[in-house]
Amino acid sequence: MAKSLSARNIIKRYGGVEALSDGNLDVHTGEVVALVGANGSGKSTMSKVINGVVVLDGGQLFLDDKPVQLSSPQSAKKLGIATVFQELSLIPQMTVAENIWLTREPMTAYGTVNRKEIDKKTNELLSLFQGTYKTDIHPHDPVASLPADEKQIIEILKAISVDPWLIILDEATASLDSRQVTRLFDLVKHWKEAGKAIVFVSHRMEEIFRIADNYSVLRNGKTVGSGKMSDINEKDLVKLMIEKESVFSFSRTGSKKPDKADKPMCLEVDGLHTTTLKGISFRVREGELVGIGGLRGQGQRDLLLSLYGAKPHSGKIKINGKESKFNHPRQAMKKGLALVPGDRAREGLLYIRSILENLLLPSWKKYGFPLKIAKAKHDAGKIAESLNLKMAGLNEPVSSLSGGNAQKVVIGKWLMRQPSLLLLNDPTKGVDVGTKAEFYSLLTNLCNEGKTILFYSSDDEELIGLCDRVLVLHDGIIRTELSGETLTKENLIAASLGISNGGAL
Amino acid sequence: MRRFHLSPPVAALILAVILFILSGLLPNGFGSNLDIARSQATNIVRLAVFLGVIAAGQTLVIISGFEGIDLSAGSVVTLTAILTYVYVNGQDDKVLAALLISFAVGAIIGLINGIGVTFLKISPFVMTLGMSGVVTGAIIVVNHGNVSGKVAPIMTRIIARPISQAIPIPGAIVIWVIFGVLMWLLLERTTFGKNLFAIGVNRVTATLSGVNVTGMNLATYTLAGALAGFGGFLLVGNTGVVLIQLGQPYLFPSIAAVAVGGTLLSGGKGSYWGSMAGAIVLTLITSLLTTMQMPDSVRRMVLGATLLVLISIYGRQRGLRQ
Repeated sequence: MAKSLSARNIIKRYGGVEALSDGNLDVHTGEVVALVGANGSGKSTMSKVINGVVVLDGGQLFLDDKPVQLSSPQSAKKLGIATVFQELSLIPQMTVAENIWLTREPMTAYGTVNRKEIDKKTNELLSLFQGTYKTDIHPHDPVASLPADEKQIIEILKAISVDPWLIILDEATASLDSRQVTRLFDLVKHWKEAGKAIVFVSHRMEEIFRIADNYSVLRNGKTVGSGKMSDINEKDLVKLMIEKESVFSFSRTGSKKPDKADKPMCLEVDGLHTTTLKGISFRVREGELVGIGGLRGQGQRDLLLSLYGAKPHSGKIKINGKESKFNHPRQAMKKGLALVPGDRAREGLLYIRSILENLLLPSWKKYGFPLKIAKAKHDAGKIAESLNLKMAGLNEPVSSLSGGNAQKVVIGKWLMRQPSLLLLNDPTKGVDVGTKAEFYSLLTNLCNEGKTILFYSSDDEELIGLCDRVLVLHDGIIRTELSGETLTKENLIAASLGISNGGAL
Repeated sequence: MRRFHLSPPVAALILAVILFILSGLLPNGFGSNLDIARSQATNIVRLAVFLGVIAAGQTLVIISGFEGIDLSAGSVVTLTAILTYVYVNGQDDKVLAALLISFAVGAIIGLINGIGVTFLKISPFVMTLGMSGVVTGAIIVVNHGNVSGKVAPIMTRIIARPISQAIPIPGAIVIWVIFGVLMWLLLERTTFGKNLFAIGVNRVTATLSGVNVTGMNLATYTLAGALAGFGGFLLVGNTGVVLIQLGQPYLFPSIAAVAVGGTLLSGGKGSYWGSMAGAIVLTLITSLLTTMQMPDSVRRMVLGATLLVLISIYGRQRGLRQ
């Protein structure tokens, strides 16, 4: 097995765009290297370089200081390099065991697949994350039946099943809850001690500082800094990534208004039940920014979808004092609701259609017959500009945008309708630091304009820094409500885990 | 480093022009006589009209996605052609009513398709194939194989004859151009059109953005049926006679025309201009091979091969792939 991998002066172009112009990376066994950078800085391309997915336009890879060519993912795998991808590479129709051992099935002496052996090995792998599953996973469960976080875990297990010496974790924690992340980090420490090397790609600063030994920062395709984590703090690291220091000063904004008690009620929910929610009741006043916290999959998604009329539910919902029963998102939209769904590719965007059509999808009716395209373009252009959307033009497909900009399109299509109540499902997932900061100031501004926001985030820092109050969901009920003094990270995590019964400690 | 990029409708039209010019070199071609060339070109476009109109409904259901297709179009064409033929029976004053009946009968059959696809969750392929059988059977049951009737003179005059002595363009082509503009308006300048593309790409996104996917699906199949009905009306106005296999030969070419026009068969992307160009290309190739006195078997082979080549070229283009 190899001891180290180095990338020197890597150049990679996609068409006319230079994704990497001077990429450098050093990994040695027994260490975790954090590969950090804003979206579009070349992180994903860098991981694709190390695992042989892309062909280099320049530069050289060295394995144990000897030049090496990685012509395909297979050749990288043979050299002991495995990748956990952000976009899942699992086949939904196949079972957990079939996915993990695909093309490497253990065989019997007769040349048939050794099912017993597969089940045994799969169970061994599954036991690594024992206790973090919602229900126990069996090797024969189809992958399609698992929630997103557990699919991600299977993806991780698939990567380590080849017993690699170098593991690339590309945003592998983005869809995991805090318990699963902790377990993964325990495993990473264990792998490190066992002499493996890990490249950790993440947007979450806190995780990077928790797990990484070294860092390597990419900015606009160039490696602009690297060193030991112990020699740098969060602020300096972010500064390296975005140059402009000011962007990160979102948290604890002065615009957090403590007293909104005099405002009228915008949303009143009583005894909301769905298949996963077991009686949710809460009130939100106009202009409030209320967070929803908790571990992933505790009913947050169902809560937002029910309010929006996209999920069958029972219970009483009052919008602006009037009882409302929505059976279709259309009805909710007419009352001024808007939903930014959690999975922008599958729920929020029309990938092959233009940015213009995506922005206008909920609003076309306003433009009459025949549609006033010029006016629509004008309005969409204004929204795109106000959101600082980086694009080649409104007629380009959404698939040409980076993650953060694609998310801006999802938010932009609702801002065009001037909604009064915004439901957000983890809008900053997989979004770079710079864009996140833009979102934070956008949300704060919207609240100051009197709009109401209900905001689920898997990032605890975000909830604490941004929200007036946080409702913590656990197992389909509101476990705790945190606000003001009680809104601290310790309380939030405790309540998420369902350990303590009071944020109001 | 942007690659040179041709949109499929333009590519199909260029292909049609090249094929047409080449056809002049054939022994039975127009040679260097421009008058003959012009009348041949007009004739080919006139023949393409009927395929083009039948392909309009097909374009809509294919754009609507989720394996959307209308295999009942051929039999609906036959049905409304026969209805028109029998009902009009040579009387000019019944033509308008016959036109409305054609639309309505097609729409009802389309609506049933839509209900099957939307509520009973039958795959469009199976649902419309079944419907095709039902309609064909119904035609035979109702008229016992004997059809007596007559096309009204006004239909022949408007559809099949040139508009006037001075302008030697058949009415059918004028109707088709107007029809094409209406289709463009529908697809690109109405909320219906925009929502149609949306449900073709991603129905979850569409629903969460307030699109009534169920209603859209029903409306699309109904409209497709109505357009096929209109196709039957036009076709009988041109042929002047009906037979039980009148519409069926147009079914697969109508799907092929949509594909040649660059509309994604998986839905969410396409245009009616493309289908029009596709209809012209297919009609041209067929008539070329006929002029060359190729046997039917060779005609089918060449047509099939052309389709494969065109679609594989589109498949290689940026943007049509994810």
